[in-house]
Amino acid sequence: MDNIKINRTERSPDIDFNFQNNVFSIRGESYPEDVPAFFGPPISSLESYLDGVSEGNVEFNFELIYFNSTSAKVMMKLFDFLDETARKGVNIAINWFYESDDDNMEELGIEFGEDLEAAAFNLKPIEA
Amino acid sequence: MIAEEMLYFREILADRGIQFCYCGYITEDILSGIGSSLKQKLAMENTNREVARAVFSLFVEQVQNVIRYSAEKKLSAADSGLSDVELPFGLFSVGKKDDYYFVACGNMIPTGDVERLRGNLIKIQNMDKSELKALYKEILRGKTPEGSKGAGVGFIDIARRTTKGLEFDFHEINSEFAFFALKAYI
Repeated sequence: MDNIKINRTERSPDIDFNFQNNVFSIRGESYPEDVPAFFGPPISSLESYLDGVSEGNVEFNFELIYFNSTSAKVMMKLFDFLDETARKGVNIAINWFYESDDDNMEELGIEFGEDLEAAAFNLKPIEA
Repeated sequence: MIAEEMLYFREILADRGIQFCYCGYITEDILSGIGSSLKQKLAMENTNREVARAVFSLFVEQVQNVIRYSAEKKLSAADSGLSDVELPFGLFSVGKKDDYYFVACGNMIPTGDVERLRGNLIKIQNMDKSELKALYKEILRGKTPEGSKGAGVGFIDIARRTTKGLEFDFHEINSEFAFFALKAYI
């Protein structure tokens, strides 16, 4: 699978999916005009890749400054999918980076993370 | 004369604490442009970062609600080869009054939707933090439908973000249209 790299804009995050290292990152602001059009292609590549993986280590980094409610739907589905993948036997670590003074982003991370059963979840405050 | 008129208009806005307002057809470009100047303004005024983030989030969700749900739309001819674009009409304002920030929006909705939307908003308004969180997650997972254009996930996000409450109101214009307004405080 070819690596995917999409650079951030004011309204959409960096997407850096490295299929060789199994490190996947979404970083920046997320309120694109057309959320499904933006996230659809990279996430469907990720899904078809991870569908074929049943062991090893996968790291997923979220470092979001802001995301709107439509993007939240994408995040929730992605968390659920990563947890399913972890249940198959893949070691999945999800890292949730947030600015240390951003209580709301911390809380959102906890909310997404608390439903994970098999994937590991780490809160990673960044000093502002 | 024109100067007086515009100054009078400006004073009405200032009197209500309104710092930004827009009335007209709303596009995603308007959301981007006004959104980034709003961010700059909040940063320039050294607004508490948590408050600034919340104001911006309320702004995005409210403007996107107007874009999505306004029943007053104008067809605008798109560039050749593309289908026509629907431009939704609405208004929004951001301001500060008595130490509270507020974000307000207004748009026409079908009169037939008033009762359902009112019911959904009353339900959301009366939910506590944990009930709102549970409903938010259910809707994100698609387990609860978005309320068929009623109270979608955007309204729940707004209710979760506001720290000083939420107001809404309806004004029936005729059997076809009613005007809907929402104001959230931080």
